[in-house]
Amino acid sequence: MANSKKYWKGLEQLNNDPKFLESVNNEFPEELPIDKFLGDNETLENSSTSRRDFLKYLGFGVAAASLAACETPVTKAIPYITKPEEITPGKANYYASTYSDGNDFAPILVKTREGRPIHVTGNKESKLTKGAINARVAGAVLSLYDNNRYKNPMMGGNATDWKTIDAAIKKDLAAAKNVRVLTTSLISPSTRKAIESLGTKASTEEELATNKLNIVQLDEISYSGMLDANMASFGVRAIPTYNFAKAKTIVSVGADFMGNWLDTPMYLNDYAQTRKPDNDWMSKHFQFEANMSLSGTNADVRIPVKPSEYAAILANIYKQLGGSIDAPKTNYDAQIANAVKSLKAAKGASIVIAGNNDKDIQLIVNGINQILGNYGNTIDVNTVSKTKAGDDAKVEALIAEMNEGKVDVLAIYGVDPVFSLGEKFKAALGKVKSTISFATKANETSKACKYVCPDNHAFESWNDYNPVSNYYTIQQPTISPLFNTRQAQESCLVWAEKEDTSYYNFIRETWKNTFASELVLTPFNDFWNKAVHDGEIKMNVETNTVSFNGEALAGVKVNNKPFAGDFELEITQNAAVGAGAGADNPWLQETPDPITKITWDNYVTMNPAEMKERGYNTQLGQESPANMISVTANGVTIENMPVVAQPGQARGTIGIAVGYGKVVGNMTEPTGKNAYPLVGRSATGAAYYVGATIAEVSGTYPIAATQTHQTVMGRDSVVRETTLATYKHGNKDAYNPEHKLVTHEKGEFIKKNIKEFDLWKEHPVENIGHRWGMSIDMNTCIGCSACVTACISENNVPVVGKDEVRRGREMHWMRIDRYYSTDADIEDKSIAGYRKMEDPADNPQVVHQPMMCQHCNHAGCETVCPVAATTHSNEGLNMMAYNRCIGTRYCANNCAYKVRRFNWFNYIAYDKFTEVNPAQDDLGRMVLNPDVVVRARGVMEKCSMCVQRIQAGKLDAKKASTKVQDGAIQTACSGACPTNAITFGDLNDTESKINGDMNHDRAYRVIEEVGQQPNVYYLTKVRNLENNEA
Amino acid sequence: MHKEAAIREPLILGDDVTYSKISDDVLATIEGKTTKGWKILMTIAAIVGLWGVGNILYLIGTGIGTWGLNKTVGWAWDITNFVWWVGIGHAGTLISAVLLLFRQKWRMAINRPAEAMTIFAVFMAGLFPMIHMGRIWMAYWVLPLPNEFGPMWVNFNSPLLWDVFAISTYLSVSLVFWYIGLIPDFATIRDRAKSPVPKLMYSLLSFGWTGNAKAWQRFEEVSLVLAGLATPLVFSVHSIVSMDFATSVIPGWHTTIFPPYFVAGAVFSGFAMVQTLMIIVRKVMHLEKYVTIKHIEYMNIIIIVTGSIVGVAYLTELFISWYSGVEYESYAFINRFSGPYAWAYWCMMTCNVISPHLFWWKKLRTNLAFTFIMSIVVNIGMWFERFVIIVTSVHRDYLPSSWSMFYPTWVDIGVFIGTLGLFSVFYLLFLRYFPVLALNELKTILKSSGEKYKNMSDEDFKKLHPVKK
Repeated sequence: MANSKKYWKGLEQLNNDPKFLESVNNEFPEELPIDKFLGDNETLENSSTSRRDFLKYLGFGVAAASLAACETPVTKAIPYITKPEEITPGKANYYASTYSDGNDFAPILVKTREGRPIHVTGNKESKLTKGAINARVAGAVLSLYDNNRYKNPMMGGNATDWKTIDAAIKKDLAAAKNVRVLTTSLISPSTRKAIESLGTKASTEEELATNKLNIVQLDEISYSGMLDANMASFGVRAIPTYNFAKAKTIVSVGADFMGNWLDTPMYLNDYAQTRKPDNDWMSKHFQFEANMSLSGTNADVRIPVKPSEYAAILANIYKQLGGSIDAPKTNYDAQIANAVKSLKAAKGASIVIAGNNDKDIQLIVNGINQILGNYGNTIDVNTVSKTKAGDDAKVEALIAEMNEGKVDVLAIYGVDPVFSLGEKFKAALGKVKSTISFATKANETSKACKYVCPDNHAFESWNDYNPVSNYYTIQQPTISPLFNTRQAQESCLVWAEKEDTSYYNFIRETWKNTFASELVLTPFNDFWNKAVHDGEIKMNVETNTVSFNGEALAGVKVNNKPFAGDFELEITQNAAVGAGAGADNPWLQETPDPITKITWDNYVTMNPAEMKERGYNTQLGQESPANMISVTANGVTIENMPVVAQPGQARGTIGIAVGYGKVVGNMTEPTGKNAYPLVGRSATGAAYYVGATIAEVSGTYPIAATQTHQTVMGRDSVVRETTLATYKHGNKDAYNPEHKLVTHEKGEFIKKNIKEFDLWKEHPVENIGHRWGMSIDMNTCIGCSACVTACISENNVPVVGKDEVRRGREMHWMRIDRYYSTDADIEDKSIAGYRKMEDPADNPQVVHQPMMCQHCNHAGCETVCPVAATTHSNEGLNMMAYNRCIGTRYCANNCAYKVRRFNWFNYIAYDKFTEVNPAQDDLGRMVLNPDVVVRARGVMEKCSMCVQRIQAGKLDAKKASTKVQDGAIQTACSGACPTNAITFGDLNDTESKINGDMNHDRAYRVIEEVGQQPNVYYLTKVRNLENNEA
Repeated sequence: MHKEAAIREPLILGDDVTYSKISDDVLATIEGKTTKGWKILMTIAAIVGLWGVGNILYLIGTGIGTWGLNKTVGWAWDITNFVWWVGIGHAGTLISAVLLLFRQKWRMAINRPAEAMTIFAVFMAGLFPMIHMGRIWMAYWVLPLPNEFGPMWVNFNSPLLWDVFAISTYLSVSLVFWYIGLIPDFATIRDRAKSPVPKLMYSLLSFGWTGNAKAWQRFEEVSLVLAGLATPLVFSVHSIVSMDFATSVIPGWHTTIFPPYFVAGAVFSGFAMVQTLMIIVRKVMHLEKYVTIKHIEYMNIIIIVTGSIVGVAYLTELFISWYSGVEYESYAFINRFSGPYAWAYWCMMTCNVISPHLFWWKKLRTNLAFTFIMSIVVNIGMWFERFVIIVTSVHRDYLPSSWSMFYPTWVDIGVFIGTLGLFSVFYLLFLRYFPVLALNELKTILKSSGEKYKNMSDEDFKKLHPVKK
């Protein structure tokens, strides 16, 4: 905040008193009587301090100082002099806010402690997302406390102050005939208005007419082709909103709507509602795709196909549904017929989507949905999503304009086009007279800009968003700006020479105009306060009749000619790193990819069979490095990409994730390699499916994966899954049989449930007080890993870096085990049989299984600890006393679930981790949760079921003189789960959801027959398949 | 004087052996000058030992992460080395205590060096449970000491705690037993010493031993009592060490056969180590008269017996894993012999099960060079046995998602090699300054089992030892 107030030392200063002015220049306002004191012999001799006394004092002084030094100094704990009203030390405050970075949008709840934001969860009250977030949003809070952020405005590469830079920019703007602003899709109405204010300075009508200010929107992952298709079909250049909750059949052709496609958080919760086998119906999900995507792993039927076949597959679906199109033959007739059958049965209650950014393909998709009558039912073109509005043609036009030297001032907000568009943009940027970047951290674009006016971090800023028609959210600051930064919008207001440059006031003014009709009865402050409190406002959408234009489809020609090159390349995003926002976020880099389980890298995924043909290593492991290849597409070659096996990858295709290879701040070496140059760029829309050639490179590359074994080895007690047909048949023994043991009683052999055998006395937690437990529904768990990141954030889990992950030493308390099915006979328990079981199927079914401490009632870890550092609480928790632990690791060895994590090094000080562990610098440490101890070297740690939250919840209940209400306490993982697959609660509370889950027919405990009696229950995964259907 | 049956082979060879010659031969290294060979060996051992100490300091200074362990494999070389050294530390007490109770007189030639080996091996063994702790500075918490932490008490359910008691008891009893045996021998050195400093040192060490009949009687009684005390310890230590594994839930560890199997394995490896040391010592120190081929053969026979027990145990484990029908158990063993660590398993099998049976040939078991090689082979095999049990069980246990491999780092290797060096330093000091053989005990069998006396006709013997009527 700019401070224009001035204070005076006294009236003398105000009046510019000459005496005062003179004294200002003297270091000491009054002369010190040193000479007088030392020069006077008499005084010295009379002084009672003799030389001997002096030595005595000196001696005592040194001794006292040394004694004092023995005490641990208390550093940097500064109490409030005047405590802010809303801050109570030890008590968390939650603020409803919004996360929006151009790629992801989610209404969130920011948890702050002592004025520091430390944790992000979804806003469960949100009508848009129902609180869904993904791993990227859950990890976003770390980017606030980043020393790589700009701490000052920069001009020509040097730090400067705002006054100077404002003057320079104002001058450039005044002289400019042509101002361009390149932004992300602008879903903030006030931001748009603030930016537009830059153009209102035009002095004559003429200048305005010559388009002095033009805003160009760029989506780093482009949906331009789809937008164009919608423009042609509906006359609206927008993305419709999808209601997955109503979709009985979902056919996705290459669209990873659970991981990366469009507005993922808006879909996840709805989708999960349809995946509950106990409901009247369960959705059927078909996924045709090349890469194994998160959606593919969750699909009931996944068909690996090449990207060049997507159009033909959609055309065939369209044709079989009655559309008229020339559909070339494909190899997937049976699968297509199956999907069409399911679609026909669910007319008006299905969704067909495609991942291509290709207008023609999206036109076919629109045609299919139109035939199915999905518009107005599951797909709403009236209420549209505005989060992706970029136009590739306009971006191309801008680059052309820049190259011609026509652009005088270019301001870049929220995007890093040099990174995503590459050298072409950088060259064009050099031809712009004056360039302004609003980047918060030094990136390739900001380094190439003349002026850098660092924006505040989102958690330091006010903003408003309008992501979906008539739905608004507020982003409110949760901390004052940490550095000398200024919100981009405020910069615009300053340059536009507004009288009031407060962006907060500006938003309020905008809202007063926008919601004028609402404010007739409600005072604005009430309206505003409610919006800030809730974080969102939903208005009724006026129903406009949108007519479908079938003509648009007429000219579409479909072919299934393979792409040129050795392989068809699908360019994708990693679930944690995204389009690049997570590139410098250690939490996100260390969150394993949900499918490959690889951290800290991007890589080429390839079908293992094709890798074996080429002699590449298909295994992962500490000393099992990947082979390297060079990939060439669109004339660009990326050298030395590691290639890893991805079962289920369509043959003849490879995949690479973008978002890596981004140099941020003073980072020396980027993580991974930038794959954006491989994207096909044209005015008709960026192409993420391209033909590629590969070349072998000698040498190998170490890969850090958290899981190196891919299959479950036929272990039915670990993962239980069944088909909907079997489940609905109703016989529990068929899908979730009890573990029984033959025993001998009174001369007879009888089979008894394993639960009845007990080596130990009954644990006194049953039906007494609380017994905390968890249930995990493997049907609604999609493996997105938001819980993993949330756990890292909540529990101060140290980041250990690539080398340590490779050595199998990641510290995650919570992990998601991913198992592929195998083609081998799992009943064949011979040596050869087990060997075969190690290999995943060519197109495997996938299971995601969140795994954390199971809080066993008869825990193996507890009995073996020699010093009783890990013990059982009387509320059923397995507790870990870090202070008592001496680090024998016996408990970890004896943990059947391998969930215990050992502090191999001093992660908060050892220099190996300086680069990766944010807790090593003072700023990064601010993100630590003060409720959770940072563990010392040499101690064991593990999931505590967020015991700090349990304690807080119990206290709240006690203060309110009630029982702990079911659902009042959420662990970090259950709070972050977008699909509510994780339920935490009190098993002893018979009314609780978890109690119901525990007694559910699908409930089982992992390796229950070992007899450790875990408190975590899993619900058998049910796939919507007939028994003979693959 | 009891005279042993002529059919038994003499235990002390040579016609010129007398009481004083025994003293001369055994004490030659103490009373003589330090040899060049000893200095060279000592230098090498000290360098290796210091290298190990350096590695340990680096380990303690930096963290357990300097080893190759990971989230799945929490123990590997550390506990392997621990069990290996403890196993080696079994032979000494077994020889001196169990064989004493069984009146096996041949033990007298080897009990002293074997006991010394035991004690130094237990030192090395004890090192590993200490340094494998993440916070060694809190190691004293494993002792049930009165404290002000609540008070916090140790967990008596934990086998690791039992280990603490078992090892420390074993070490203290072995040490006392060994030292009691040393007292008369120290007195002999004291009596023969010429320069004042050694005389003072050895008189301090000999606790004022007078050598009168009463002292000898008490000596015998104490030895017997201590032998009685030590005998159960021989079996308990390794049984308890095996319970670290047997009481766990990890397939491959959770096995009731472990206590006897571990004890047999320990005796097996202990005798092999005694062989390794004695074959060198008897040659270098010219003690062939006292440590005869017969002694070597006896020990080889014990190696056959214990090796066979170990072999039966291995096969029993395999059978039971299959017979149990338990998924995890049977996979653990299939994985052992066919998985990524199969090479270690087959190395163990070859060294421990197949090779000892070569000793059925008398020619081989009385061949020094062959015995020496075999003793090394057995110890390699026994190291691998512990490695196989520890690493191949945990590296693939219940949840395949956590399966991993273990790769040792140079610190893992450095610490192990270092303990070999430290052990050698201790042993070389023992050879130089301590009576290597129990010379006073040897003297007691000279006339019953010495070659000279055995070959003597009864008349001559009676002449020498007239029986008073």
